[in-house]
Amino acid sequence: MSIADPTTSARRSPLTHWHKNNRAIFTMIGSSSVVESYEPKDGSIDEQRQAKELAICDLSTLPRTGFKGQGASMWLGEQGLHLPSSSNSAVIQSSGSLIAKLSDQEALILSDIFALSNDVGNLVNRSTSDHRELTQQTYILPRGDSHCWFTVTGSKASEMFSKICAVDLRTHKFLLGSVAQTSLARVSSVIIRHDFGDTPCFYVLSDISSAEFLWDCLLDAMYEYNGVNIGINALQSLIDKH
Amino acid sequence: MTKRLPHPYGRLIDRTKKIQFSFEGKIVDGLAGDTVATALLANNEWLLSRSFKYHRPRGVLTLAGQDANTMIQLPSNPNALADKELITEGLEAKGQNYSGTLEKDRGSILGLFSRFLPVGFYYKAFFRPRGIWEKWAAVIRKKAGLGVIDQNISPSYYDKQYKFFDVVVVGGGPAGMQAALDSAVDGCEVLLIDENPILGGSLNYSRFDVEGCQGQLIRQELISAIEAKNNISVMTDAVCNGWFADNWLPVVAGNRLFKVRAAQTILCTGSLEQPALFHNNDLPGVIMGSAAQRMIHLYGVYPGSAAVILTGNNDGYGVALDLHDAGIAIKAIVDLRDKPIYDAIAEKAIDLGLTVKTGYAVYAAHHKRTRSVKSVDIRKIIRPGVCEEIGDIIDCDVVCMSVGYAPAYQLACQAGAQLSYNDTSAIFTLKHCPSNLQLAGSVNSLWDLDEVRSEASRAARIVTKSLGFISETEGEIISSAKPSPNHPWPIFSHPKGKEFVDFDEDLTISDIINATSDGYEHIQLVKRYSTCGMGPSQGRHSALAAARIVAWATNRSVAETGVTTARPPFSAEKLGLSAGRSFYPKRLTNMHTRHIDAGAEMLQAGAWFRPAFYHQGKLDNQSCINNEVDNIRNNVGLVDVSTLGGIDLRGPDVAEFLERFYTFRFKKQPVGRARYALLTNEAGIVIDDGVACRLSEFHYYITATTGGADRVYQSMLKWNSQWRLDLDISNVTSAYCGINIAGPNARHVLTKLQSDIDFSSDAFPYMGVRTGVISNIPARVIRVGFVGEIGYEIHVPQLVGEALWDLVIEAGHEFGIQPFGIEAQRILRLEKGHIIIGQDTDAMSNPNEIQMGWAVSRDKPFFVGGRTISELERKPPLRKLVGFLIDDLNSPMPQESHLVLDGTKMTGRVTSCNYSPTLKKIIGLAYVPLEKAESGSTIVIKSSEDYSVEATVTELPFYDPKSLRQEL
Repeated sequence: MSIADPTTSARRSPLTHWHKNNRAIFTMIGSSSVVESYEPKDGSIDEQRQAKELAICDLSTLPRTGFKGQGASMWLGEQGLHLPSSSNSAVIQSSGSLIAKLSDQEALILSDIFALSNDVGNLVNRSTSDHRELTQQTYILPRGDSHCWFTVTGSKASEMFSKICAVDLRTHKFLLGSVAQTSLARVSSVIIRHDFGDTPCFYVLSDISSAEFLWDCLLDAMYEYNGVNIGINALQSLIDKH
Repeated sequence: MTKRLPHPYGRLIDRTKKIQFSFEGKIVDGLAGDTVATALLANNEWLLSRSFKYHRPRGVLTLAGQDANTMIQLPSNPNALADKELITEGLEAKGQNYSGTLEKDRGSILGLFSRFLPVGFYYKAFFRPRGIWEKWAAVIRKKAGLGVIDQNISPSYYDKQYKFFDVVVVGGGPAGMQAALDSAVDGCEVLLIDENPILGGSLNYSRFDVEGCQGQLIRQELISAIEAKNNISVMTDAVCNGWFADNWLPVVAGNRLFKVRAAQTILCTGSLEQPALFHNNDLPGVIMGSAAQRMIHLYGVYPGSAAVILTGNNDGYGVALDLHDAGIAIKAIVDLRDKPIYDAIAEKAIDLGLTVKTGYAVYAAHHKRTRSVKSVDIRKIIRPGVCEEIGDIIDCDVVCMSVGYAPAYQLACQAGAQLSYNDTSAIFTLKHCPSNLQLAGSVNSLWDLDEVRSEASRAARIVTKSLGFISETEGEIISSAKPSPNHPWPIFSHPKGKEFVDFDEDLTISDIINATSDGYEHIQLVKRYSTCGMGPSQGRHSALAAARIVAWATNRSVAETGVTTARPPFSAEKLGLSAGRSFYPKRLTNMHTRHIDAGAEMLQAGAWFRPAFYHQGKLDNQSCINNEVDNIRNNVGLVDVSTLGGIDLRGPDVAEFLERFYTFRFKKQPVGRARYALLTNEAGIVIDDGVACRLSEFHYYITATTGGADRVYQSMLKWNSQWRLDLDISNVTSAYCGINIAGPNARHVLTKLQSDIDFSSDAFPYMGVRTGVISNIPARVIRVGFVGEIGYEIHVPQLVGEALWDLVIEAGHEFGIQPFGIEAQRILRLEKGHIIIGQDTDAMSNPNEIQMGWAVSRDKPFFVGGRTISELERKPPLRKLVGFLIDDLNSPMPQESHLVLDGTKMTGRVTSCNYSPTLKKIIGLAYVPLEKAESGSTIVIKSSEDYSVEATVTELPFYDPKSLRQEL
């Protein structure tokens, strides 16, 4: 369902005004206001086709959280979640959410793009209700607010990344579920390979205060390959078809 | 008139596309694919530019973009290489470095005075009197300059890109193509780089067999095979400009700098043909043999109509055959060798009846009115470097030199390879390459085509084996069966000099010898004293000759003499490539748009952007700031404090950690209370401050300064890696937004918000901390007094920052709430006597000096800096940070860092100073000597306008000394 004004929601992406200025149409995904699509300025842009070639989508308002501490992995396992066996890798949960293991003692949990999974909310509630930090050395991290969340999609994404990132993100080297903790345009970032269907996709989580800077950098780097910003509808369509 | 050789000559030109451009204002016709130099040569124009020092006429030397002779001026691009710069329709090109016209350069008169301008002239002539160089420098630099920079140019777009490969092959000649192909066959991802527009290297122009067709056949075979492999990427018109650790290769292509990472590198950079040294060897028309072949085969250009070939090997005979086939008269092949061993190509030339003079040298070249060569004086060689007194004059309009090669060793040496020289064979070899780098081809001193390809295959096997693609052995090292193509002494001194060693810097044989005579015998000192090898071509054609001459002059072998260091970049690199597309991250708070909408003038603090103040209609800036101060003192305002550092400390040992880390005590701090936290380093120097908020027994939320947050966080991690206390340290600076609502009406505004927090004075006292919700937004609220009024800092999750701002603005509307910026905040805190770490402290400030001794707990067993502070406290401080007042509002206002004087002696400095709208006085903070620190003392402050002002030292704070305002 489209909504007229994203500022009716208290939680706002740092790019909310950028989106509004660029003719975004907003929608609610769960309790999050996100860009559904953009009204084309001139001519029509097929966002679904763009998603397959090169596009970027802002998911910053969708649920995510993090945990760290010596007991974090064990506690997350006790909550019925499946963690990757090694650091710097990510696995999809049966609920649709994604867990990225950033170190032996730290994990990042991301909602699915339909916000169907309640994993994030459940974990936050359980963590804060029973003082995990004292009993099991498990500390919750406010990843939903410390990091913005973008998705870069399409066959040209790796090539585009090579303009602003020193890590080899080519799809045959940076495999599905790989995690890189690196720097994008000099902003500390976590990059996760998480394809939608057969379209290469990369989650980018970076310092939220630099979100607008990084968004501009990514769009500038994408320009050479005709990449554009898209809404979440186009992302979801990549999954629908498969 | 344009005249070209027929097809298939001219591999790089498109005869169907004509292009017109101008050179020196004259219209020139060329073809697509032509460079400026080749288009001019096709019009029989040799003169391209003037030399750096003596303004000598210069033309093409290598036609490979390797020399400085072809530097020309383009409208927005000085020092462009005419033999690399492609012509475009309407291009306006000019020569460089002349006075008057290129043809008639008044500066060429300098050549007549060359004997008075010996090597080291500047050092000797301008050593005394003191300051003389500054007077002459401008004149000399004007005469001896390069191109002219267009300072009005709009910058072009440059950027950078990373690339990753298993194997990178530098050089797309026969060795490079073979190495790339074999590496790819074995399964590697390969990048093949070549600086030319097409692959092939010498296969494109050199003669490898009697018929002259083998090169093209092999090239086609290799290119077809390469094109069939999808794991070979090819970059042409790309230069690998250096080698850095772990095979980090900067590759320049157009306006992009590629940062290439290779697991293995194979250098097939080839070799550079070297000039012979004889009188006037720099005349236009005196060129490398390979340059003549490039003209013919790549551009279909006639190098001339009558040629003399000066050779020291059989390659010169190949050049002669190519010229002969193209219809150019061969006036003579002058062979430096007394008894040459001919190959089939040379024998073919002899069979054709071409005139061959063995044991002869070109002793001098002569020029005609058009400045290019008209004849040569050839003479019989008596012994190395010495000829008979009388020679023969041969008319010609081109001289082709083929006397030997030097490997393109630059990248290999940057990788750590050692260059050695065999004085007998006159061959350079490169040894001790790192294990991730291999050599193949003529850079490895192989010239026979079969040997080159076999060695390239072997190099490919070595790298693919090391990468785990194959397990077979790499095979035997190949030793060349061919004789050396390098003549050991193609150097012929002339009584009139002008035998140029370094064309860039106009250095002759005598200059190099004189450098050694002046005591600079080491080749590196010769380079610096004479500037040999320091010009744009970086010694590519002078290093070998200079080494030979220095060796001769100092009675050493060339091997002992060595060559100078070849540092990156290999070729001239535009600054835009390094500067282009640099990233300077900006940090914005969630309320940024609200600030802009409210008319904020933003100020950058590190990466953060913060409102300095908010414009108010047509009011001047200072009035806006003063109004913001008044509104806080008398009403209520709000300021964005999101940039303050925020660190969550959680765990059983959290209080113990804070006891050790900060100067104060924290173990007995009650939950729900905040405490000032002063941080010192091991030297007892104050480096940060903030507030420690105890949210629960085992959870503290610490604030830090905007600029110090990351450093404090890193310092915490560093110390706890030693202390191993049981706690978690998380930097949550970006996770929280903060607003400080301050002023006598602050509480009234807050009570308008829906919240489960009781904001009353009794329930929420000064320095209290509460967690709760405000309009369903989870919040951490701290009651603070930084600006000297009742104030509440509300910290909320980042994404709801803007929503909170909107709520507070709406709630405060009826009270006239206004946002204020950091300029007003600075004045407010100064009135209250609060310091700002970094502004009011420096690298020597300890707590007692800045009147912060109260924030140091002396009965703790340990804290960082504690031992030093206790030592410092044994002695009286040398200075003190005090407040001062200036009653006279007409006095010039001192600025930060203005000096405090005692007579003419500097005794302190101002750290903060401003007009106080509240007190109607100028107030400030300054470091003063202890004897001036008493209240009522008079200090003298010198302003930067050479004006001194008297100020009175005053007790702090200036405003509300009993802090009654915060207890409202």
